[in-house]
Amino acid sequence: MSAARPLGPRATAAGVLVGIGLLMLWTLLPLLYLVVLSVKPEAMMLDPPSLRFAPTLERYVELLRWGTLGTPIWNSLVTAVAGTAGALLLGATAALGFALHGFRGRGTVFFVILLTRMFPPVTTLIPLYLIMRTLGLLDTRTGLIVLFAALQLPLVMWIVYASLGTIPREMLETTVLDGASLPVVAARVVFPLAAPGLVSAAILSFIFCWNDFLLPLVMTSTEARTGTVALMRYTETYKTVLWGPLSTVAIAMATPTILFVLGLRQYLVKGLTAGMLKG
Amino acid sequence: MQARLFARQPLLLWAFVLPGVVYVLAWRIVPALYTAFLSLHTYNLAYDAGPRWYGLANYVRLAGDAGLMSSLRVTLVFAASAVTAELMLGLGAALLFDRNLPGRHLWLGIFLIPMVLPPVAVATVWYVLLNPFVGPVPHLIRALGGPEILWLSGPGTALLSLIVADIWEWTPFMTLLLLASLQAIPRELVEAAMVDGAAGLRIFRHITVPHITGMTAVAVGLRFMDAFIELDKVLIMTGGGPGAATTFVSVRVFKTAFQFFTLGYAAAIVMVLLLVLALLYSAYLRAVRRASRLGTGLTEETA
Repeated sequence: MSAARPLGPRATAAGVLVGIGLLMLWTLLPLLYLVVLSVKPEAMMLDPPSLRFAPTLERYVELLRWGTLGTPIWNSLVTAVAGTAGALLLGATAALGFALHGFRGRGTVFFVILLTRMFPPVTTLIPLYLIMRTLGLLDTRTGLIVLFAALQLPLVMWIVYASLGTIPREMLETTVLDGASLPVVAARVVFPLAAPGLVSAAILSFIFCWNDFLLPLVMTSTEARTGTVALMRYTETYKTVLWGPLSTVAIAMATPTILFVLGLRQYLVKGLTAGMLKG
Repeated sequence: MQARLFARQPLLLWAFVLPGVVYVLAWRIVPALYTAFLSLHTYNLAYDAGPRWYGLANYVRLAGDAGLMSSLRVTLVFAASAVTAELMLGLGAALLFDRNLPGRHLWLGIFLIPMVLPPVAVATVWYVLLNPFVGPVPHLIRALGGPEILWLSGPGTALLSLIVADIWEWTPFMTLLLLASLQAIPRELVEAAMVDGAAGLRIFRHITVPHITGMTAVAVGLRFMDAFIELDKVLIMTGGGPGAATTFVSVRVFKTAFQFFTLGYAAAIVMVLLLVLALLYSAYLRAVRRASRLGTGLTEETA
């Protein structure tokens, strides 16, 4: 980001500014329209689009009471956080084992694990559904958490593994010579130094779980339904669409991801690029 | 050092590595293998007790399935058009963001928003924008005296709407990757060319393009493979319709398995999808390798 070209002569500069302005409108206007709908009184929903109305916050208030409107969001939050925690715990420890020990066949095992990222979730949906049904975990948050952790584990492993590679060997060596055991080395030296990688992995994993639609769509119905599934339930109805609740839930689902990309973009981009170079 | 660390604590190593590996095996790899197994069976979730051996019957049925062929075709049209448009627009935006304008970190952050949104939220945005009752787009067209277009329920316009939503969502991804490679171009190279009297377009052709070819191949390849398995936005915006106009391959898998409950047949379609993805992936690797070789060759020449 540092080495940008100068703006250039005035005509070019004006062109660049206009271009950026258009990009901002293209990105923001659709989102703002959804915000407008979410505060528009229900009675005026079908009037021609206009900004002349007294905005109502009642849907957001209702959402934060975690009732009908808020429960799916709460489910999304719980499952995404717990799924990420699981993936981090299993993924970071495994990555450390892989990084520290050159046991034979390590490359193959690692390759097979990363290979799973080649087949999209839709390809394992059917067996996962059958397993969840057998275990009685359909429509439970526990079931979703188990699957989310599994889905994000390879990515977490890869990002943490890549960031472990940047730790100086001598640093580890000294600690080991001091007689520290592996868990101590991990907790005191390795993971603090690999913290940026861990943060990247956590953010990406959270966003992917939070955004996931297909797994919750198949695995949940009413109790554990997530925000993404709730959006579909609003749009697939044959009755009148409830525009207010639909846009409110959509904005609520969009908000955390927007905060992440505006506030912690460096981590996000770093994780994305590390995760992409998997070939 | 490694040996010493683990010679003392061999069990500890396995305690670190095994849980993660076993977890991936159990939840990702075994299910994938079970899908292959299931594709040789017939199993209707609604009334069969379990899968029954079916030999290659599912695959024979696949070969004569006109619906699947049309799914593959429409998926290809969707992916190719969306990714082409995203490349063009993404490159344009990347060239803009490569300029040192005030506040560019913030502008870039805002521009990246659609790509991190839940795909179903993206779909909701466009579902609302194009809706004949509450959508501003049909309203605007009406106000300008244009025709009444049912964007999401006409066969051609439904596909077009999905492509537009995909462009909105994923152009930032192209921009992000291309911007990274634009910024890796050595400034001296551009300055030297300018001293030699080269102007904007020539610099773009002889310096910029060769430098970003490799990254372009990566970006296009990743996007294409991703667009080929598009599912989320379809389920919200069109449900695969009208008719089968937007029933992409993933949508067909989903419907075959979870609306018609014919799991064996759905598994067979998955195997076809995996085959296509594997072919795409190997083509991608070849293209990336060739592009990076090409890129470096030209760079050395110009430098």
